[in-house]
Amino acid sequence: MIEVNAVSKDFGGRKILRDLSFTVPDGRITALLGANGAGKTTCLRIIGGLLRADSGDVRLGGIDVGRDPMAARRQLGVVGDREGLYERLTVAEYLSLFATIQGLSGGVRDKALQAVREELELDDLWHRRTRGFSQGERMKVSLARAMVHQPQHLILDEPTRGLDVLAARLLRKTLLQLRDRGTTILFSSHVMSEVSELSDQVLVMSAGRIVGGGTPAELLAQTGCGNLEDTFVTLAYGTAGGQKEGAPAC
Amino acid sequence: MLRGAWFSSPMGALVRKEFLETWRDKRALWMAVSFSLIFPVMLFAFTTYMVKQSTEEPTRMAFLGGDRVPLLAERLSDDQFQVEVLSEGKPRELLESGYDLVLELSEDFVEDYVSLRSAKVYLYLDSADIASGRAQGRLQERLGKLQQLVVSQRLSARGVAQQLLSPWNLQVRDVSTPSSRGAIILAAVPGLLILTLFVASLATSVDTSAGERERLSLETLLLQPLPGWQLVAAKVLAVASMGWMGALLALAALVSLMPMMPLAELGIQQAATVGSALGMGLLLLPLALLVAVVQILLALRSNSFKDAQTQLSILQIAPAMLLVVLDVSGVQLESGVWQLVPLVAQQQWLKALLVGDPISLPLVLAGSLVSLLMAVFAVALGARALRRERLLNTG
Repeated sequence: MIEVNAVSKDFGGRKILRDLSFTVPDGRITALLGANGAGKTTCLRIIGGLLRADSGDVRLGGIDVGRDPMAARRQLGVVGDREGLYERLTVAEYLSLFATIQGLSGGVRDKALQAVREELELDDLWHRRTRGFSQGERMKVSLARAMVHQPQHLILDEPTRGLDVLAARLLRKTLLQLRDRGTTILFSSHVMSEVSELSDQVLVMSAGRIVGGGTPAELLAQTGCGNLEDTFVTLAYGTAGGQKEGAPAC
Repeated sequence: MLRGAWFSSPMGALVRKEFLETWRDKRALWMAVSFSLIFPVMLFAFTTYMVKQSTEEPTRMAFLGGDRVPLLAERLSDDQFQVEVLSEGKPRELLESGYDLVLELSEDFVEDYVSLRSAKVYLYLDSADIASGRAQGRLQERLGKLQQLVVSQRLSARGVAQQLLSPWNLQVRDVSTPSSRGAIILAAVPGLLILTLFVASLATSVDTSAGERERLSLETLLLQPLPGWQLVAAKVLAVASMGWMGALLALAALVSLMPMMPLAELGIQQAATVGSALGMGLLLLPLALLVAVVQILLALRSNSFKDAQTQLSILQIAPAMLLVVLDVSGVQLESGVWQLVPLVAQQQWLKALLVGDPISLPLVLAGSLVSLLMAVFAVALGARALRRERLLNTG
């Protein structure tokens, strides 16, 4: 479980997160929606321990990320908003590196590598260096790196950005399988169809706060909108798209 | 077995990753190898040129009308100054055909000379040609001596003591030896070796720090359960390996080229053996580590890849300038304290090994330890730098 408790964060006097609180339950996929600049990436970076919260705390599986970031990172896999590949390493070398850094060795590591190789269909790429990979191939390798040590928590920042249909499909299939195995998944996205299809829970962020949360059906009921896009716009901006202030949202 | 186990540890895997990335970077490797080889080759060319300059190349002079003054032609001529007497020819064409100088007597030279009038002699030379300029000096020196001889003979014939015309007798003695000229060349070698170390590790240090930061792959590493010092230390080892390889390559090239250099002509006894070269290589290792970590720290501080390249380019000029200034200013570095100062210490040790002078082992160990401790301290600073949020391009 990921618990974010009253987290605030400033950058150069500008408030990015304001008393942000939410919970991501185990074995569920939670989508974090928000306009550009709403604070999603900052929030995800604080959960990963890359940034420190000015106040509040984050717990991963009960571990305080601020106090024991090393222990928290052993339970965490992250796919950032860029892939973070090393272009002079082969896929096998790259994944082996991160599996070893996460403490896997010997036969356990070999099995883990073989598992992600099969699950993410990496056979053709396995001995190739990552330079020149397509966006979809890069995402597959990046996802393999995040899940090779089978973390309890998986965070993805706009994972389908730039992916073609097949790659996006594979990603969705993989996330659903991981959820069924009990992994706690939190991802940010702008693609509403994907959010509808994948999410058990949706959190809508605006100006550093959660302004709405629940299952997609609950959110639709809460706003009275007919689709998730209108629901998101209503919650994040207060009105449905180009409608005038004060007009009914949906 | 133990090696394999170490590479299976998180730190071992990290070091392996940094080495693979470093040594597969063809651009950085090419830059390191090129610079490492350029300086010994340039040194080789320079010594060869110096010897050629200092060797007395014979001057060739055409003497138009010399057949009328055979004694003068004979007195001017020796092994280093070949005089060829010609009855006719055009000075410009003769110079173009390979003569360094053309000396031409006036039509009535003999008549004027016998009548004690100032007889005219014309000297043709090509001032754009260095050899021609040198030949002019040689001719004037010879003519000056002969002129003095003729004057003294004429005065003696008239009963005047020649000493009256020579209130003093200046004699110039050049005490510079080929050896001291050669010493200047050798003095440049330690500084150049240290500069090689800086240049060879430059591209790698920028790529592994500012480059990783710009590609956002540093963020992925920072998300792993690894202490910051391990991340920095692995990068330092890889960068230092490239710098050290550059310095070793330069040393190897130098030792290989030395037998072909005309060092004996410069009065230098070749003291740098394979053994002393190995010693020099070992002495450079702690410095390679220190240089690597300083370069990484600076690159991490910079705003972009380009900014890092600029900053480090300036950094590598600074130590070279420092060493040159120390050499030129003649600061006495005999005190043992200097051997605890990184850069200065390594320069002193390399200089000593190069000319076959002994070096103090305790001071070498102490100085190397200081360099290593400074490197460790800088790694700790680097680990702190990795915690800075500015590194993540949070804008």
